[in-house]
Amino acid sequence: MLEINRLKSEPVLLLTIMAALSITVFFVVWPLIKVITFPKPQEYLRVLADSIWYQAALNSLFMVVISTASCTLVAFLFAYTIVRLDVPLKGLFRFITLLPIVSPPFIVALSYILLFGGQGLIAKYILHITIDIYGWRGLWFVQTVTFFPYAYAVIYSTMQSIPANLEYAAYNLGASRWSTFKDVFFPLCRPGVAGGALMAAMNVLADFGNPLMIAGNFRLLPTEAYMQMIGVGDLSTAAILATALLVPALGLFLINRYWVGQRSYVTITGKEISLPPMKVLLLVKWGLFALCLLISIVIIGVYGVLFYGSFAKLWGYDWSFSWGNMVYVLNKGKEIGNSLKFAFLSSLFAALFALLLAYIVQRKQVGLNRVVDFLAILPGAIPGVFLGLGFAMAFNEKPLAMTGTSAIMVIALMFWNIPTCYSASTAGLQQIGNSVEEASLNLGVGPFRTFKNILLPLLRDSFVSGLTVSFLRSITCLSVVIFLYSAQTAVSTISILGLVQNGEWGGAAAFTTVLVSIAFTALGVVCFLFKKQGKSLEI
Amino acid sequence: MKIFKTKLISLITLLMLIATTILSGCGTQSTASTAGKTDTTKQVTSTSNKLVVYAALNDSDVAWIQKKFKDDTGLEVEFLRFGAGDAAARVEAEKAAPKADVMVGGSVEFYDNLVKDGCLDKYTSPNAQGLDSQFIDPNGYWQGWYMGVLGMVYNTERFNKELAPKGVKEPATWDDLLNPAYKDLYVTSNPATAGGGYIFAADQLFRLGDDLGWDYLNKLNQNVHHYTPGAVDPITLVATGQFIAGMAWAHDIESAMKKGYPIKVVVPDQTAYEIGGAALIKGGQNPANAKKFIDWLLTKPIQEMNRDNSNRYSILKDVAPPQGMIKLEDVKLVNYDRAKASEMKAAVVKKFTDMIANKAAK
Repeated sequence: MLEINRLKSEPVLLLTIMAALSITVFFVVWPLIKVITFPKPQEYLRVLADSIWYQAALNSLFMVVISTASCTLVAFLFAYTIVRLDVPLKGLFRFITLLPIVSPPFIVALSYILLFGGQGLIAKYILHITIDIYGWRGLWFVQTVTFFPYAYAVIYSTMQSIPANLEYAAYNLGASRWSTFKDVFFPLCRPGVAGGALMAAMNVLADFGNPLMIAGNFRLLPTEAYMQMIGVGDLSTAAILATALLVPALGLFLINRYWVGQRSYVTITGKEISLPPMKVLLLVKWGLFALCLLISIVIIGVYGVLFYGSFAKLWGYDWSFSWGNMVYVLNKGKEIGNSLKFAFLSSLFAALFALLLAYIVQRKQVGLNRVVDFLAILPGAIPGVFLGLGFAMAFNEKPLAMTGTSAIMVIALMFWNIPTCYSASTAGLQQIGNSVEEASLNLGVGPFRTFKNILLPLLRDSFVSGLTVSFLRSITCLSVVIFLYSAQTAVSTISILGLVQNGEWGGAAAFTTVLVSIAFTALGVVCFLFKKQGKSLEI
Repeated sequence: MKIFKTKLISLITLLMLIATTILSGCGTQSTASTAGKTDTTKQVTSTSNKLVVYAALNDSDVAWIQKKFKDDTGLEVEFLRFGAGDAAARVEAEKAAPKADVMVGGSVEFYDNLVKDGCLDKYTSPNAQGLDSQFIDPNGYWQGWYMGVLGMVYNTERFNKELAPKGVKEPATWDDLLNPAYKDLYVTSNPATAGGGYIFAADQLFRLGDDLGWDYLNKLNQNVHHYTPGAVDPITLVATGQFIAGMAWAHDIESAMKKGYPIKVVVPDQTAYEIGGAALIKGGQNPANAKKFIDWLLTKPIQEMNRDNSNRYSILKDVAPPQGMIKLEDVKLVNYDRAKASEMKAAVVKKFTDMIANKAAK
């Protein structure tokens, strides 16, 4: 009752929330409903009665648990080392956390097979063992490499804004180093860790490129759904399996909410002094450094093979130098241009819209904010390929017929990116106490200027990091666009998938090398522009 | 209160900014496309110089076809390349508002399914006269324009090193693949996702009859390391030495071999073949050009070029087989009942999927 009164007195707030809600509902819930209601009820019964899918569901759950755990652990390790430790090679570590985001998801599997497979360079020539790399172990490795950067991006931006003051206080009051870490530092990281794990988990859950390449006979829900749709043309079963994916996604969402809970994580209160990070034991410091280095070497190995292979005469057989594979990249200027254009527009819109949503949820405590919060994170729970399919079904006819246009590519990618940007903005906002804004408002500064001059600069890191991660993952996105692209709007990942499907793995590697180079160049330009203004871009 | 209001006004301005950007984006896009539509419908009666093709072909095939067709006719073709299943699913998904004029490539079974769902238009090319009747859809929708046969691929280096010393002979028949020596060293494609994978399964059922056929597939299942999603994947895996033997289209194996991989292709007796199709998509915007394209595919020079570029067999009797490949007359083909194969596909795939699931569970 109170809330309704409050909203009545703030019609503009009400309108804003309503507008944000309806846009999100229209572009997220409507396509979703289209997919869910596609099969008839009796078809649901038929599919659910078939025990064959239960194994796939269990396997999916299993992968989500182990891959999310490893992704979050690696991400935390990298974030802690980069933010808190005084060690060399931080530039390299940062690079390692970007590389997998910038490469198409399924491509890691190619070099993984080459490195660890039956005739693999490492397995055969270094370790002298034969291991079967197909199945859940291989998938675990590939998914960890592919998805830990998503968790890292969120954990890093949270850790970044945790001042060392409290730890000094705890330590000076007699707490041990371990208990300082465990009881003071880690709880402050929790929103980041939870958000990061959620991002990783949702990516793992919806991943279908890697399982297709590496899982062998290990069946998962997204691959089964994909096979039903592509192979048998059975859209109904595919839609049902996709719907089944939403259930664990919902569970993840609730766990995340429960774990982060109602605690307060305010650390930027406007009355602080910043101190250098607490020193840690040398042994711990270099131990963590060595771990990061080891992981970096493995990842560099994986991508090194890909890079080397793109200039090799015959992928996996004749390693002599050749420009031959670059032939596949020529004449693909349109696809590369489309990739960059769509990625830029969609990530920009996503970052702005997500900031608005995060602001409503975090600062305007109205009853609707749980709904807004849910909607903002929901696209992350929808497997990309079904978000794409939903868009294709929902916007194929009036009132908004836009299949085959650039607009549908941009909007689909935008909503696919919103959870990334939203998590970053939310984590950022949770760190900023109301007092800073209140001080500004009380001193007579207008709300818009307060937002612009106080909140935005404090949010800049999380905003830009969300934007950048979105941009990079849009460039390399395959799943969302696979049902939406047309002859005019084809993108690079589509071409790369085509090359893999044709057995032109060398050509696929070459295209990936070019795409990764372009993405890093774009990133370099942004960094350079930031530096020129005396700021630094933190990703 | 006033402060809040202004603050929210600024917020809503931001929101509307985003909304207008998005919506104006769509607005221009959709008006542009409707404008395009009316344009092309007008042009159909006169001349449109556009053609949109969904191709279940290789990247390299698409490249030469695009160039050659433009040289020959002056028409600009927009190609989208997929696997056959993806292409069919796309045509199906766009049924209400088709974006393409022609689907080309991929076994004709995929076309039969599209016919059932009313996604294709009838067309019989004047150039189809004199062709063997199996290349022309009895119902008048699709047109066959190339042939491929299934073959076995094996890695000569690994075979000679690991299997030959054990006294294993080079594979020559489908039954040779049942040799336990191939256990976990053999890969093949999944009938659920790969056209070739399904035709292989149907081949065995036609060759041996239902009971013995399933018996064969079950036994072979013991040797299969895993089922790949695409028909070409086994070749790459065998070529790079991950596995020793595999099953795939002979023309794709031949292409990989010509690149220099240490592999050999075997076309066994009682193998099955695919007929690669082409058809008009119902509601396409450039039907005149689409027909021109299908006519063009059936001409002798194009049949020869396709043979040289893709190593596929021509449907014309006076076009020689691809260089280095066995003559089709010398291959004892299985009596492949295409209508029955289409009809039983769903049931076979279901049974096959259950069979693999049991393997995976073990």
